[in-house]
Amino acid sequence: MRSALVIARKELRQRLRDRSAIVLGLVAPLGIAALMSFAFKGAETFHFTLGVVDADHGPVAAGLVQALRGPQLRQIVTTRPVADLGAARTAVRDRHAAAALVIPAGFSAALEGGRPEALSTVTSVNNTVAGSITASIASSFVAQLNADRLSVATALASGAPASQAPDLARSAAGLQIPEQVVRRPLGAHELKPVSYYSPGMAIFFLLFTIGFAARSFFVDRTQGMIERIRAAPVRPFEILAGKALSVFVYGVLSLTTIGVITSAAFGANWGTPWAAALLGLALVISVVCLTALVISVARTQRQAEGLSSILVFGLALVGGNFVFISAAPPFMRRLALATPNGWAMRGFTDLATIGGGIGTVWVPIAAILLISAVVAAIAAVLAPRAVTA
Amino acid sequence: MTALAIARAAFVRIGRDRTALFFIVVLPVAVIVIVGATVRGFSTFRVGVLDQGAGQAGHQLTAALEHAPDLQVSRYTSVAALTKAVARNEVSAGLVLPQQMDERLRRGDSVAVPVLAEQASSTQQAAVTAVSSIVADQGGIMQAARFASSRASGSVAQNVARAGALAPHVARVNVRTVQAESTHNTLPEGYSYSAPTQLVLFVFITSVAGGAAIIETKRLGMYERMAAAPVRTSTIIMGEALTYLGLAVVQSVLIVVVGAVGFGVSWGNPVAAFALVVLWSLVEASAGMLAGTVFRTPEQANAIGPSVGIALGMLGGCMWPLAIVSSTMRTVGHFTPQAWAVDAWTSLLARSGTIVSIAPQLAVLAAFAAGLLALATTRLRRVLA
Repeated sequence: MRSALVIARKELRQRLRDRSAIVLGLVAPLGIAALMSFAFKGAETFHFTLGVVDADHGPVAAGLVQALRGPQLRQIVTTRPVADLGAARTAVRDRHAAAALVIPAGFSAALEGGRPEALSTVTSVNNTVAGSITASIASSFVAQLNADRLSVATALASGAPASQAPDLARSAAGLQIPEQVVRRPLGAHELKPVSYYSPGMAIFFLLFTIGFAARSFFVDRTQGMIERIRAAPVRPFEILAGKALSVFVYGVLSLTTIGVITSAAFGANWGTPWAAALLGLALVISVVCLTALVISVARTQRQAEGLSSILVFGLALVGGNFVFISAAPPFMRRLALATPNGWAMRGFTDLATIGGGIGTVWVPIAAILLISAVVAAIAAVLAPRAVTA
Repeated sequence: MTALAIARAAFVRIGRDRTALFFIVVLPVAVIVIVGATVRGFSTFRVGVLDQGAGQAGHQLTAALEHAPDLQVSRYTSVAALTKAVARNEVSAGLVLPQQMDERLRRGDSVAVPVLAEQASSTQQAAVTAVSSIVADQGGIMQAARFASSRASGSVAQNVARAGALAPHVARVNVRTVQAESTHNTLPEGYSYSAPTQLVLFVFITSVAGGAAIIETKRLGMYERMAAAPVRTSTIIMGEALTYLGLAVVQSVLIVVVGAVGFGVSWGNPVAAFALVVLWSLVEASAGMLAGTVFRTPEQANAIGPSVGIALGMLGGCMWPLAIVSSTMRTVGHFTPQAWAVDAWTSLLARSGTIVSIAPQLAVLAAFAAGLLALATTRLRRVLA
């Protein structure tokens, strides 16, 4: 086993001397995580300014304005008084407000008659979310007004005398729609982009190790290094173990450093440290197995480089390292779980949102180890050919 | 002629390299599919619905949610699955339609419809607002029926039918929409977003990583062999430039065709789109040649090239629209050629722009191309000397 350690040490030293190893293992993932964190600073939470035109000044308008400033909506909306519809349009166009709500003159009074006035939302095609939320808030409010009007009409149609109409309207105004949404918190954290893409980029660049290690193996073989090592009392297994160990140590170092720096500097949430560490270890094991697979399948250095590049980009793309996989259609989310990095992303997402320890990550870890075992088995069948060729 | 022969030889070499073909052909198309399917979240909320046996009222509510234009509804079969989906952000809010909801409403009970969302997450709270308005709208008929039964005559069931029949005839308070701004400043969603941005991103990455070819040619001593023939340095440089330009144009055209035929992307004004593709290919060809003279080994070009390409792509709005980042990041982003190219595509795809409307972007890209080409030529001349 000592030979394996010696080989691993030599491999690692050689890798760390190469500047591109430092770039891929550290500079690139950290740089991109930093970019992510700066890009989304302030854009992570959804909050917008709503211009409000109260041309009515009646009791119903006052109720609406009060609801807009209430605790339920304060988190997403800040209101800002605007003079009239023209000013509201200008405010939205000039980005002083993301959307506006116009309560027309005579709105409260017209509710008692047969021709109620309409509320208007002023929106921009460049802020459709703010527009649709404003419409939803307005719709929720008028749903109650419409329900009250329908209540009076139904009571009159069911035989209540017409003379009681004003009395019925007053009673209906105090009603509440019997289907109401009640909010139930989950106790989970919000998934910030930096918490998703820090592991995402760390894993993507970790996958590049496959290419480096595979290439180094074939360079050694072309230069007759493997034969020279085999002339010594070293078994083929030890040569592979040494290479694998170097990949493992490099992977662990890279993931750990990125985890620590992105948590401390950019506020990325990797979850409970030891659970994240176990998940990272499982992933690094899968990278070792994938490297062994590439070495055992490829016949030349060029084939190894090509195969590993395709593998790296293919896995990263399908596994969700580039795109926020939660937003993808269900079939893509399932496809991601065919890759070890997809399971790792699932595990890190759960750690960052649901939290917890081994209970949260044991399924992803088991899945990664299972995939690794299958990959390793294929590599083991083909490996002797690679070493002895 | 000699320059063309050099370019032709390089093309044949690339054509035989299956890995290169994967990166030039397969990968960009795969990325367009995946990013196109994912980048859809800017104007809709994803909502999960779990029906625990709510009956008729539950079916009606689900149908209303599915018809809402700003909601994307997925159904779930257990509270645990729905909870995880909300936590993972697969959906922004999870609505649980309780057991016997219909019966309880008809009996005169009030029904609370639980919605799973994090109080701290404003995106999730915004989704709750959207869901609440639809739930409220559905409850109006039930309120009217119960009120009529208590103040006049008839059972709740009878009055549900009566209120339902009356509803279309009672003048409603409506919510109107006034558009203050109808000019889009971001690309349309889906494939119309992913195809142009990935064109900008990938052709750049391919070119910069392709810088490895110059390093390899140098390592193999091919430049020296060429110099032994009566070939001028400027001809060799021209040959390299033609190779990179040809490669970039081929890859761009491929993405344009796949986007148009496979995903129905309309690339806008053809003259303007052609000019943009050619100028962008020039920028990339120059960047690729420069990479070939800056990096020392093919591994460096293959490793650092894509990293730089991804970082510039992020800054330039290839991964997300620059409209959603801070104004500082937007300004920083415009130091990259990518931002100008994406701006030009946005004008063509979202605002029916013409060559005149994208003239400023084309001018900036031309300046980038000229600067990079001058730098690359000077350095390559030094390599060949």
